Amino acid sequence: MKNRTVVLLALVLGLIMFAGTGCGKRVVDAPADPAAEELTEEERARLAEERLQEEMRRQALEERRLQEERMERERDALDAEARIQEAMDEITANRIHFAFDSYELDADARSKLQKISEHLNRFDELSLVIEGHTDERGTAEYNLALGERRARAAYEFLVLLGVSSDRLQIISYGEENPLVDESNESAWAQNRRAEFKVLD
Amino acid sequence: MGEKNEGTSETRLHYNLNQSIRNYMTRISFYFFLLAAIMLVSLQPLKAGAQDALRIDIFGPGEERINVFIAPPRDLRSEVLFDPKLGSRIYDGLQNNLNLLPFLMQVEPGHILGGPDVEGVRGRDIDFRKFNLSRVDLLLTIGLEQQARGPGSVEIRAFEVFDQRMILGRAYELQDMDQVPLMLRRFCAELMEYLTGNGDFFRSRLAFERKQNGNKDIWAVTPQGTDLTRLTDLRGITLSPAWSPDGSRIAFTLMRDNRHHLGLWDLEKGEAEAFSLPGNTVISPAFSPEGRLALSLDPMGRPDIYWLDEVYGVDEAIMEHWAIDVSPSFDASGTKMAFASGRLGNPHIFVHDFETGRVQRVSYEGRYNTNPSISPEGDFVAFTRQTPDGHRIFVVDLETGNEKQISFGPGNDEDPAFAPDGYFVAYSSNRSGEYRLYLTTRNGDGSREIPTGEGNAKAPAWGMERDF
Repeated sequence: MKNRTVVLLALVLGLIMFAGTGCGKRVVDAPADPAAEELTEEERARLAEERLQEEMRRQALEERRLQEERMERERDALDAEARIQEAMDEITANRIHFAFDSYELDADARSKLQKISEHLNRFDELSLVIEGHTDERGTAEYNLALGERRARAAYEFLVLLGVSSDRLQIISYGEENPLVDESNESAWAQNRRAEFKVLD
Repeated sequence: MGEKNEGTSETRLHYNLNQSIRNYMTRISFYFFLLAAIMLVSLQPLKAGAQDALRIDIFGPGEERINVFIAPPRDLRSEVLFDPKLGSRIYDGLQNNLNLLPFLMQVEPGHILGGPDVEGVRGRDIDFRKFNLSRVDLLLTIGLEQQARGPGSVEIRAFEVFDQRMILGRAYELQDMDQVPLMLRRFCAELMEYLTGNGDFFRSRLAFERKQNGNKDIWAVTPQGTDLTRLTDLRGITLSPAWSPDGSRIAFTLMRDNRHHLGLWDLEKGEAEAFSLPGNTVISPAFSPEGRLALSLDPMGRPDIYWLDEVYGVDEAIMEHWAIDVSPSFDASGTKMAFASGRLGNPHIFVHDFETGRVQRVSYEGRYNTNPSISPEGDFVAFTRQTPDGHRIFVVDLETGNEKQISFGPGNDEDPAFAPDGYFVAYSSNRSGEYRLYLTTRNGDGSREIPTGEGNAKAPAWGMERDF
């Protein structure tokens, strides 16, 4: 039973292979042109029209895709600008404060400098001026030196956090540019500071 | 007092005055001959022991006083003054100048027994007895010879009343009423020289910082409050002016465009230049007596004191330390430099001796001592100490270490500066609400405001008038 089936299958396969080769030869020999010649003028015009419409649809799709890509690029650019602006705003807002006659960075100052360094490491194009300021209670010349010490403390910490020193500039204003032009403890505390300005 | 926008007025005035003196040489020689003659006569001692009268030791304890009286001005040719305005301008100016000298007490005209007038301006015309009875030690007379065109000539004489002796007589030819302050400064310089041995107070000028419209520029004024002049217009913040010993330059800190610069104002050019220096800070420039410029820079990352060379490049370090070193101040011999340093944790005053290389700590009290100014003789240092009531000026004797407070507020008294005579001390104070300049002496005699107009005035620096 089993042997008969195998023989049968082999026979069928052999037949198929023979028929296949015979058929192939016939197709190659058969000419295709006579069929094309049979198309009427009308049909040809219709086909051309279809091809044109197809092409226009394709172009319209392509246009839309390009448009979308452009808009996306613009959105990205705006986002990047907004992100830089946001970074710049945050850098400027992060003033750090000091105790009287001191240039030591406290925990708060260090965490603010950490944030600033992250922005600087993300945006290579940003360079900073670090301004050192004092309150009015000392005297002008010593305060100029103290302002330098404060700005430098911030500078050195930023360099430690991986910011390249050629992106940082220091200036001491001493007591010349108070944030709050008043003479009380709260004003003094706010005026003893280092500020960060982004260079154009 | 007129404010001028250029620094040349003084020179011009000087030139005019010289020229006029040349023009009127014949007449002037006559006056000087006359005055010299009077002087010769009066030099004959009338009484024994008169030689040591009317001398003030300004370096003494500062308790000596001389009673002075200025007689009302007289016309040399008539009984009435041709132009009373000129007379009162000279009289008031002289009074104002002498008022600045704490060792002179002006006697009220009402206190002169027999009336304040003199019969003439020369010794022979003066009734010295009434002034002697009224306890006047020093009598000044003003003689005018006015002309229809211009103020004419002025003679000022000073007499020792007790000896009836003229100690000083000068004649001046004026072209213009505006020359009166300069004439009076010259006369007072000679009078102070006679009385104390040093008249530089009237031959000097103060540079200072003045704030207007958010900017600070360098201005100058005489210690007598005349000739207020703007020197720079730099649209930035200028600080800590320091005058070169020859009076030809003023060095200062200029903050502009996110940087510190060394600013230098030049008398000849009448304008300022900015120089860049290594590091980030340019603090407290000061000239040595030889004209070398020293200042605090931070090329090593900390404010140290350096010498600059002749083209304002960095020469060599004077004081290097990890702590803040600022505010160099030199004595007249150039062997001592006072400075402020944070090396002990808080700012204190130190004196560096260039000969021994020794650094001497001179302030011990308080926790914030800054702004040192060493006296020309190198024997005292004036400085600012923060007290519970605000900053006050103190003077320390370098020999004994004794301190004396010489300013008493209220508010903050800062930036003391020893005058070239080592007697006067100028400083700034916000006792009136805004910072103004004040004058006192190293003995702390009173305090007088030097008028500088609106806007904070700080950091007075003494300089000698050129070609005075």
